[in-house]
Amino acid sequence: MPSELTLLEFLRNRLYLTGTKEGCGIGECGACTVLLDEKPVTACLVLAVEVDGCIVETVEGEATGGQLSVLQRAFVETGAVQCGFCTPGMIMSARGLLRRNPNPSDEEIVEAMAGNLCRCTGYEAILAAVRRAAAAVRPAVGPLAGEVGLADGRSLRGAVPKRDPEKGGRR
Amino acid sequence: MTRELRVVGTSVPRDDAIDKVTGAARYTTDLALPGMLHATILTSPHASARIVGVDLTDARSVPGVRAVLAGSDLDVRLGLYLRDKRILARDVVRYQGEPVAAVAADTLDVAREACRRIRVEYEELPAVFDPRDAMAAGAPLVHPDLAGYDHMRGVFFPRPGTNVAHHQKIRKGDAPASLAAADVRLEASFYNPPVQHVPMETHASIAQALPEDRVEIWTSSQSPYTVRHLLSVCLGLPHAAIRVHVPYVGGGFGGKAGLGLEPLATVLSRAAGGRPVLVSATREEEFNTMPSRQGLHSTIKIGSTCDGRITALEATYVWDAGAYADYGVNVGRAAAYSGAGPYAIEHCSIDSYVVYTNKVYGTAYRGFGHLEVLWGIERVMDQMARKLGLDPAEFRRRNLLKEGDTTITGEPFTAGHGKPVECLDAVAKAIGWGRPPAAASDPRKVRGKGIAMLHKAPAMPTYTSCAVVIKLDEDGAADVLVSGVDYGQGTYTVLRQIAAEELCLPIGKVHITWECDTALTPYDWQTVASRFSYMGGNAVIEAAADCLRQVRAVAAQALGVAPETIVCEDELAFPAAEPGRAIAYKDLALGYTFPNGNAIGGPIIGHGRFIATGLTHLNPETGQGRPAQFWTYGAHAVEIEVDTETGEIEILHIATAVDAGKVLNPLSCTGQVIGGVVQGLGSTLHEGFQFDDKGQLLNPSFVDYKIPTAKDLPRRMTPIFLENPQPGGPYGARGVAEHPMISVPSAIGNALADALGIDYTVLPLSPERVLLGIQKKDKTP
Amino acid sequence: MLGRFDYERPTSLAEAARLLTECGSSAAVLAGGTDLLVDLRAGRRIVRLLVGVKRIDALRRLDVDSAGELTIGAAVPLNEMIERAAIRRTHPGLVQAAESIATYQLRNRATAVGNLCNASPAADMAPILLALGACLIAWSPRGERTIPLSSLFVGVKKTCLAPDEIATELRVPAPEPGLRSRFLKQQRLRGHDLAVSSAAGTYAPSTGVLRLAVGSCAPTPLLLEPIEVGRSSRAAVEEKAVRAVQVAMRPISDTRASADYRRAVLPVLVKRLVADLLAEGGAP
Repeated sequence: MPSELTLLEFLRNRLYLTGTKEGCGIGECGACTVLLDEKPVTACLVLAVEVDGCIVETVEGEATGGQLSVLQRAFVETGAVQCGFCTPGMIMSARGLLRRNPNPSDEEIVEAMAGNLCRCTGYEAILAAVRRAAAAVRPAVGPLAGEVGLADGRSLRGAVPKRDPEKGGRR
Repeated sequence: MTRELRVVGTSVPRDDAIDKVTGAARYTTDLALPGMLHATILTSPHASARIVGVDLTDARSVPGVRAVLAGSDLDVRLGLYLRDKRILARDVVRYQGEPVAAVAADTLDVAREACRRIRVEYEELPAVFDPRDAMAAGAPLVHPDLAGYDHMRGVFFPRPGTNVAHHQKIRKGDAPASLAAADVRLEASFYNPPVQHVPMETHASIAQALPEDRVEIWTSSQSPYTVRHLLSVCLGLPHAAIRVHVPYVGGGFGGKAGLGLEPLATVLSRAAGGRPVLVSATREEEFNTMPSRQGLHSTIKIGSTCDGRITALEATYVWDAGAYADYGVNVGRAAAYSGAGPYAIEHCSIDSYVVYTNKVYGTAYRGFGHLEVLWGIERVMDQMARKLGLDPAEFRRRNLLKEGDTTITGEPFTAGHGKPVECLDAVAKAIGWGRPPAAASDPRKVRGKGIAMLHKAPAMPTYTSCAVVIKLDEDGAADVLVSGVDYGQGTYTVLRQIAAEELCLPIGKVHITWECDTALTPYDWQTVASRFSYMGGNAVIEAAADCLRQVRAVAAQALGVAPETIVCEDELAFPAAEPGRAIAYKDLALGYTFPNGNAIGGPIIGHGRFIATGLTHLNPETGQGRPAQFWTYGAHAVEIEVDTETGEIEILHIATAVDAGKVLNPLSCTGQVIGGVVQGLGSTLHEGFQFDDKGQLLNPSFVDYKIPTAKDLPRRMTPIFLENPQPGGPYGARGVAEHPMISVPSAIGNALADALGIDYTVLPLSPERVLLGIQKKDKTP
Repeated sequence: MLGRFDYERPTSLAEAARLLTECGSSAAVLAGGTDLLVDLRAGRRIVRLLVGVKRIDALRRLDVDSAGELTIGAAVPLNEMIERAAIRRTHPGLVQAAESIATYQLRNRATAVGNLCNASPAADMAPILLALGACLIAWSPRGERTIPLSSLFVGVKKTCLAPDEIATELRVPAPEPGLRSRFLKQQRLRGHDLAVSSAAGTYAPSTGVLRLAVGSCAPTPLLLEPIEVGRSSRAAVEEKAVRAVQVAMRPISDTRASADYRRAVLPVLVKRLVADLLAEGGAP
């Protein structure tokens, strides 16, 4: 193994675990976040040779037996995923947080996640997903924290129709 | 629009989210083709220089190198609207960061080693960096051969012998005379620096040159058909010889709307004997080599009556196109026809110049010039309101477009346009406009409130079109095939919802093919301009109707009734009066087989399309015409707190109203608003390219180019949607994707003026800029 | 991407020193790597050997002895220091400085000693450690050397460490009873950023001595002359501190900020720092 191979290159190019993404290569964006002995680190700034004897966890290990974890489900439901490129890194930072602190405050969530850049979502839905996963609330269909308000005072959540959207309609 | 909708208008979560949260989603750099090579690019260290000589021999000798190219190897000219660009610089370099040579090798390390061994000799030439300098007589010419470039005639007007790539004019009434006669006049100038899109996934393309002059491409792009078309033009190949796949895309924001690295990957593959070649931008290359958002210098003059009716507006927009015109000329065009804001103005004169400079070139960026223009326009509105002694919201109410008004291009404003005044009122109410802010907790901090309007129509050719195919599976589920790209905005989910609604299928039985493939998925123009949900949605509705027509025809024949009597409900087709005689879609999807074995019908495949209607070219002298398929209006209101000792701004509350016509999916619409507002905060508070006096980009990385993090959010964000329907929109919907970003800087600039009594005209409103402004004011008697 | 080099992971200081001496200037110590790897990627440094020191027990010490002296080993990641409750209690300024560095992920790798040895004028750990009177222990085959931090920085990104010296630990002297410490950093945004300006200070009510240090305003971080607070009013102390800073600072204009802004904002940080440190009944 060449000493100069980063952990990120090793994961992606040798182990073909392409879930972990490269966003900048200098540890600024968090896209390559993995857990190294349960601690979130940016894989671009770790050499593969350094992790000999350590446990590395990537996003591919988050779901078990084909079932999404509560955390992953929360990301899906709150709208925390748009282009998805930052998502694996976000999931790993959140996983690291929830392992060391299963009941984080809002401030602690921000501190844990702030090292992961996102350009699409504006972060609110991501933070809501982590809160939701921590609270382990049963997934409920609906927009993220806060009502989607209409100018006339109606709320769009209230406009979700009563009929089961899973059934077909009539033409 | 009164029928009860079952799935359109609900917050269906996206199904692609599952691939993304598990790491299964494959983006371009996650793909590996057998024998794939890796490429690196050698870029120019100079902003303007002649390439005296390029020596590739040493580079070619490195083991594992399969192709090395320089500009002199390639006689190809590229360009979206103006063919002014090369794949690799040839004869001259025009910006620091411009690709000069490229290597394809077995590994990235080998490619980099070879790149280091390429010798280029340059002779520096005079350069010009400020577009205003570039417009002056005697300025160095970035494109001395401008006269010889192909361009889209009748739409764009380059001026050979100058640095002007395009000049768009709006002439309505007699603005100079009206201004001169106005009761009150005001003039101000503003500046937006160039910024970068910063998609989390940088540009990446794989190309494989195939025998018989064909090429197959996988690319992180917003526009597979545009990639195909432009390559067809510049390589002289028939369209069918080029196949473009778009896998998952990690953000675009306009930066991936046109051609990116596809041409380079293609020529490298050709040179490497047809081996596939991956070219992927490093983050530094994304900032320094890939295109940016044009900078803008604007000067705006408005005239008003004493009681607050704007009579005239004159604006000069000087766009910093950088070294190549790309989308820049269209931004200059679109910004002109939108360039007076959403107001009824009888006399208007706008000159929008797109000007070459020796810097990285500009391209489409979310908002397409509107954020930049409205930075000036919405600030000037506030300044004029203050000069007149009027409340800024009230001043706007008196001038916002209403039914019966015409726009500055002569387009009538109708009820179908939506209600800008309602947007204004909604955000004003949300932040308690009219009540002064509560006192800041800290005596060193000051609070202020600001308001700004936004508007935009899709800036697109008059013939823009979109096609959709829907095919039914054996189990009666529907597959929707499109070539618009979902690069995060969520349109695919919306299209699934529309298909499910129209086909009477549960949402779980409607699928959309994630990967676009120009050989298989039908034509879509480009995924830009906030027009995909609108046009794609309409095309899906038509395609679904086509499918149901086929369903009814076969069912009717099978049941021995007239097709008009068949209703479709819940995946079943039956005569209205005889629900007991239903046939399931799954028994029709591939044709219907009678009990005795006879078969009728066949695989059900529906197609739909949409083409822009009623659009006209703009008159080259007056800009009059109908450029807009639809307009979307909106507003922001913001309350801020400023630390007067450090210059830091905190956004306490930002309320954003958009007249969406119909919110097709509240979850994703909200996502667009929150995401757009935060991206707007980036442009407002943190972002801007910095160049030294030799045109070197000083901040080509996240160390010194800062985008908002999770710690930089407003305390509170309130998205508000209005639903005044858009005639012709699917369920009355309009596009909303770009809009939330537009006018965020203006609202905050207005709030700063309220808080500090200072008019800031240059972005970003960094702590430094704010504090130095405060100090300057304190020193002024 | 990072060049071509070998990697060794010794388990003793002696072994590490031997490797470094053999390779001379083309070898480098790899602790957290968050500065080094970025420099290697950019081609700003070229090495032939990286000597990983995270397995050397001697460099992993993080403890407070009975007298209250704090030892921070060179291989201790910042987060480990931040999360040590005892340190949070007795040295809040130290924790503030560490927490301001980069991101949570980087703080699982980056080290305080590494931050100092990188010797950026904006090094976030420098001002507080200067104010605390910390020393850096350097080990070489010739023996061990105790370097007061005030002597460590000799220029922009230059320390007084000899090529064959390995920085092994930081020693922070036992704090005076009730010592208060604070760190303030001016950034361009609230998200992770380098310092545009920074200031740190300690104040011991028992001795009445105020110690201030500033960063990102000169080629090296600067420790200012201690100020005897005595019976002076807070405003008088603030003024004295600001004057001292204005005399000492030599800010430049760079991509991050202009000299004018730094001249405007550093005194603001210093005033706020002093006000906080001298606040009546203030916590440590």
